[in-house]
Amino acid sequence: MSEINGADAAGGPRLGGVGLSKSFGPLKANDRIDFAARRGTIHAIVGGNGAGKSTLMKILQGLQAPDAGTVLVNGAPVVFRSPNDAIRAGIGMVHQEFTLIPGLTLLENLILGDEPRRAFGAIDRRVAGARAAELADLAGVRIDWTLMEEEAPVHMRQAVEILRLIYRGADVLILDEPTAVLAPPQIRELLALMANLRDQGNTILFISHKLDEVLAVADEVTVLRTGRVVVSRPAAGLDKAELARLMTGEPVTAPTAKPATPGAAVLELDGLGTGGEGAVALEDFSLVLHAGEIVGIAGVAGNGQDQIVGLVSGLMPTLRGRLRLAGQDITQHSTRERRALGLAYLSPDRKQEGLCLEASIAENLIASHQRKPRFGKAGFLNPIAIAGYADERVAAFDIKCASPQQPVGALSGGNQQKVAMARELYDSPRVLLACQPTRGVDIKGIAAIHQEILAFRDAGGAVLLISEELEELVQLSDRIVTIYGGRRTGEFPRGAAAMERIGRTMLGEVAA
Amino acid sequence: MITDILFSALVMTTPLILAALGGLIHRSSGIVNVGLDGMMLLGALVAIIIASGGNWAVALVGAGFAGGVTGWLMSLGITRLRANEIIVGLGLNIAIAGAIRFYLKAAYGSSGNLMLPDVSRLPKIDLPLPGALGAVFSGHSILTWIAWALVPLTAWVLSRTALGLRLRACGTSAASAAAIGLHPKRMREGAGFVAGALSGLAGAYLSIGVVGLFNEGITGGRGFIALAAFYFGANRPWATAACALLFGIFDAVQIRLQGRGFPAELIQTLPYIMVCVVLLLLGLAARRRAQGKAASHG
Repeated sequence: MSEINGADAAGGPRLGGVGLSKSFGPLKANDRIDFAARRGTIHAIVGGNGAGKSTLMKILQGLQAPDAGTVLVNGAPVVFRSPNDAIRAGIGMVHQEFTLIPGLTLLENLILGDEPRRAFGAIDRRVAGARAAELADLAGVRIDWTLMEEEAPVHMRQAVEILRLIYRGADVLILDEPTAVLAPPQIRELLALMANLRDQGNTILFISHKLDEVLAVADEVTVLRTGRVVVSRPAAGLDKAELARLMTGEPVTAPTAKPATPGAAVLELDGLGTGGEGAVALEDFSLVLHAGEIVGIAGVAGNGQDQIVGLVSGLMPTLRGRLRLAGQDITQHSTRERRALGLAYLSPDRKQEGLCLEASIAENLIASHQRKPRFGKAGFLNPIAIAGYADERVAAFDIKCASPQQPVGALSGGNQQKVAMARELYDSPRVLLACQPTRGVDIKGIAAIHQEILAFRDAGGAVLLISEELEELVQLSDRIVTIYGGRRTGEFPRGAAAMERIGRTMLGEVAA
Repeated sequence: MITDILFSALVMTTPLILAALGGLIHRSSGIVNVGLDGMMLLGALVAIIIASGGNWAVALVGAGFAGGVTGWLMSLGITRLRANEIIVGLGLNIAIAGAIRFYLKAAYGSSGNLMLPDVSRLPKIDLPLPGALGAVFSGHSILTWIAWALVPLTAWVLSRTALGLRLRACGTSAASAAAIGLHPKRMREGAGFVAGALSGLAGAYLSIGVVGLFNEGITGGRGFIALAAFYFGANRPWATAACALLFGIFDAVQIRLQGRGFPAELIQTLPYIMVCVVLLLLGLAARRRAQGKAASHG
């Protein structure tokens, strides 16, 4: 990613705070935070889970009042009582959960609440369309405004979320982990969009823990740790290692992997194929996974990874080829039968598929294990046994929570993923199908999850790792298999895998 | 014969379209209105009382207003008191039926029926159309034409106006709509008034349009058929009207079949059963299409 820098054109402070503090009981979520985002800059707020980013954003949004300190708009103190106050001051926020409304087109979503009108309250579609096209041009993105919200791809919806704020008059955009839901090419597009909007004079507060992205696009960086500002400085001259050190307060060491000692074959994919219109079809895909090894699948999103996940997990019916788990043919097995044979599955979609966010941590931890005798008899659950087990898992996986009875939705992304890991790794499965295991997880959480995956392997487990983070694949995998257009294009053992080389096979070149 | 059936099909369809469009609007705003039948019943009674020795136009206004206020109050219960919409709707039907029975007894000493003198009936519009066309389309009351005119009007308001857009937004995602400064609760209450008013008109059509008297069973559960119509119409006004017409046709056929040797009680169930059958078949077909799609994706 190239450096996109526009700080030279920056103006005075647009949005900031002095001495902002907010406590929840004994926890100081924000402790005398000072910062100032200057007009026409991208100001990154970085920090790990619990660093106080979300609290700060809530204060800037008018969702929470600070205990002490003042929000400054254009250098003058203000008090926001609601997000409407913030919007009136030109400050809008894009949350991780989108707020566009399904059943409405993207254009309708854009203009909702402030529609250009003709006689009888009819919407002036010409004016609306022209305004939308103008906004998209400004941001340098292509948007099909006639798409229904639910049909639009995620990056398009996100662009509309951002443009909608500008349509409604905001010139300060707070973006909360905006790249968490995007694939790499879309991330580049989003960063370019942010730079464009910045060059138009907008101010962007970019909340992130992805250091590459921060360094690529931010003009200034404020680092938070345990509720305090560690440093607030220009991004120029910062490097990744330094930034990581500032965030965590200690040098972050990558988990070290001992050489693998592969055992017997446990999972065999034999000539798997899918039909399918629209999506890429998997063709004649074979792979043997041994006990005690991690095999990574590398590919640009949408090249057949989803199909591998679907076929192995059993969520998609197999049309061609066979699947064997521990010697047994499981091609026609249901997901439940596969799990009983020792298949564990870490879903890429934690919020929808991996966890039930409304349910408690304990309930999520026993999900799919609930029929085991340890947790109850004759169809009745044993709450004491479940509570004991939950405490045990929470401790073993270092899940940060007030109590196992808390809903999982209240946890941070990293801790949610730990809950899913703790559930999937219970009762010694043979194979872990791990998909995007660290998506939306902060730097410390990533290290913990990687450590768990390695520990599982060292204990003799087999891991099929599917990830869009190439670095993660290289760090963890004993072998990397590349995939392009639904076909295998290469295989690299640990160490031999130069990023550059893998990158080329991911784009279709077949490795010799 | 055929023209007779089609003529009475249009008659039978009119109250359904009115109530179903009301339900559709209410549902678009986010509330499933199960109380349409009760509001129809109330409208039917209010209309005939006002029309007796009075004027049909005033009766329509009265029936619409009575239904509207009821729909508005029902919505208030749901939006402000957080009552469950299904329970409130069902309760409303029972409460209105009970209150009306009591009122008839107390005020007129009659049980279930109310025949009043000098009822001002809805005027019929004669169209100078030749032959079969005339037989089908001439002689309908003004409410029939209003009902059909409301179909494109509703479609236009929902899809093309700022009000319609906001209504749909509030119905789909109240939280998101509120976040950008809309008022989902008020929207639902307003839509509740419209739903009640249209149901009231539907009831008035039955009492002062079709029969000229009131009976506590006058709606014949048509408020629930309207519910089925807007549900299967999936909030699309024309599809909803088509569902209503479907029932209207079977209702008309049923009337024709009476007195031809079939047991009347059984024949009267025909339109209801046919609606269930047709909707079931449509549902199955939709499911097969969806499965076909999923299979070709898999």
